[in-house]
Amino acid sequence: MRLASGVDVGSTQTKAVVMSDNGGINILARALVDTGANVQRAAERAFDKCCAEAGIQTGDVGFVVGTGYGRYKIAFGNAQMTEISCHAKGAGFLCPSTRTVIDMGGQDSKAISVGANGEVLDFVMNDKCAAGTGRFLANAAEVMGISLDEIGPLSLKGKYPVKLATVCTVFVESDILSYLAQGKKGEDILNGVHLAIAKRTVSLARRINLEPEITMTGGVARNCGMVHALEEVLARKLQISPDAHFMGAVGAALFALEKLDRSFEFGTWKGQHATSGGH
Amino acid sequence: MQENDSPRVIGKGRARSGVNVDEAASQALQQALNDAVINRSGLEYISCTGFGRYGVSFRDIQVTEITTAARGAHFANPTSTTILDIGGQCTRAIGITETGKVKHFKSNDKCAAGSGMFIQRAAKYLEIPLEQVGELSLQASHPQPISSVCAVLAESEIINHVSAGVTVADILRGIHESLADRAGSLLKRVEMKGDLTLIGGVAKQAGIVKAIEDRLKVRVYVPRDCDFVCALGAALLGLKRLASKIAVAAEAS
Repeated sequence: MRLASGVDVGSTQTKAVVMSDNGGINILARALVDTGANVQRAAERAFDKCCAEAGIQTGDVGFVVGTGYGRYKIAFGNAQMTEISCHAKGAGFLCPSTRTVIDMGGQDSKAISVGANGEVLDFVMNDKCAAGTGRFLANAAEVMGISLDEIGPLSLKGKYPVKLATVCTVFVESDILSYLAQGKKGEDILNGVHLAIAKRTVSLARRINLEPEITMTGGVARNCGMVHALEEVLARKLQISPDAHFMGAVGAALFALEKLDRSFEFGTWKGQHATSGGH
Repeated sequence: MQENDSPRVIGKGRARSGVNVDEAASQALQQALNDAVINRSGLEYISCTGFGRYGVSFRDIQVTEITTAARGAHFANPTSTTILDIGGQCTRAIGITETGKVKHFKSNDKCAAGSGMFIQRAAKYLEIPLEQVGELSLQASHPQPISSVCAVLAESEIINHVSAGVTVADILRGIHESLADRAGSLLKRVEMKGDLTLIGGVAKQAGIVKAIEDRLKVRVYVPRDCDFVCALGAALLGLKRLASKIAVAAEAS
């Protein structure tokens, strides 16, 4: 049995998965930790936790691919891939009909056009503005005085979404406060906030070929309010994998498994373990 | 303002806008009246400007802050034909004629990156009182560029700079330079010519003046009471309206 891992070091959270290839490819375990200030340590913690979860030693993992913005800080990684390739790869594997990936992460958002084999055909990215990122939603939740997990379900209850003049995270704060002062319902405010962000994200995504099936990935995919708002603006259902949050890590682990296969094919695999330096 | 031969300012006042703009306007006006030592009945005309101008119940007229900025800045510095107004939530570049009329303007009110709000949040983060930001920024020796365009994403960058040991002065100047660069792209679109008149609350910060002069290679003029320029322009327009009203009345009688 071949074991490989993908570690996705995002701006906010670090995700790790361990996958096995034993004739069929399976996800053995997942782990999630906050990235925090020490990126290298976060990657180690996620990887260790994931191996423990899978009931294996870190040394059993044949190949580790790092991805995400902190991928070059992973001391034990064997290779790095961009998160764009990894999200496409992961989505192509878990949701094989995927032709478009909308990835909303902690500090950026992307739309990726995906080929039949999970390869990247085209992509657009917003990393210049916090609108359309988890950061925006976390801010909105803070201003509303509720937790990030609550804003999605609450926004679904809204019937009369408020209109926002801008989607600037800073200005939306004062918009929310003045709507609250006017006595607007929290659910209507949040509904409006989610819709505004969805519109912005969709207009970014329209710069590539938005072909169905559209799969949403990244941490924001856990927010049912955002999923619903995107579906409303796109006028189409989104595919949400239970592993949407881990999609980058899954893609990285799939690349890692391919590397292992290639090593076996070319006879370069000497059975050395991927881990070194502290592992 | 008062006009005998030429218009002059005789009193000014300010109040925090808060939720009730009508109340705030009336407080600010009362302060200005006290400052001028006159009664409300001595006023013949009240013009309002700014984002809450329609909320002021006692106004005779309302004028956009673009027109009033142009008028006020022209009055304060008649030779300058380009105005940059950096306010809390909005930044504007205005090109004016030699007589103070608006030729063209561009504004950014969709994004906090180029506005005073960016500085305000950064100052809060760095635990520096807003009044000290300008002076501190002047003391920078190696301004630290901020690469993020977004005020929110820049906060993470600022945290990284702090933990990397960059001085607060260098960070603040980096923020001022980033604002200056944003302003530069607005100014380019209004065909900036000659000296620049900088107005709005942010103009009080010496660091932004230096940053604009360095980055945009222009001479910057900051009028005294730089945050009253739109009110000044509104008063000037009020005097003008009053004069024509009196003229019309005289003709009729």
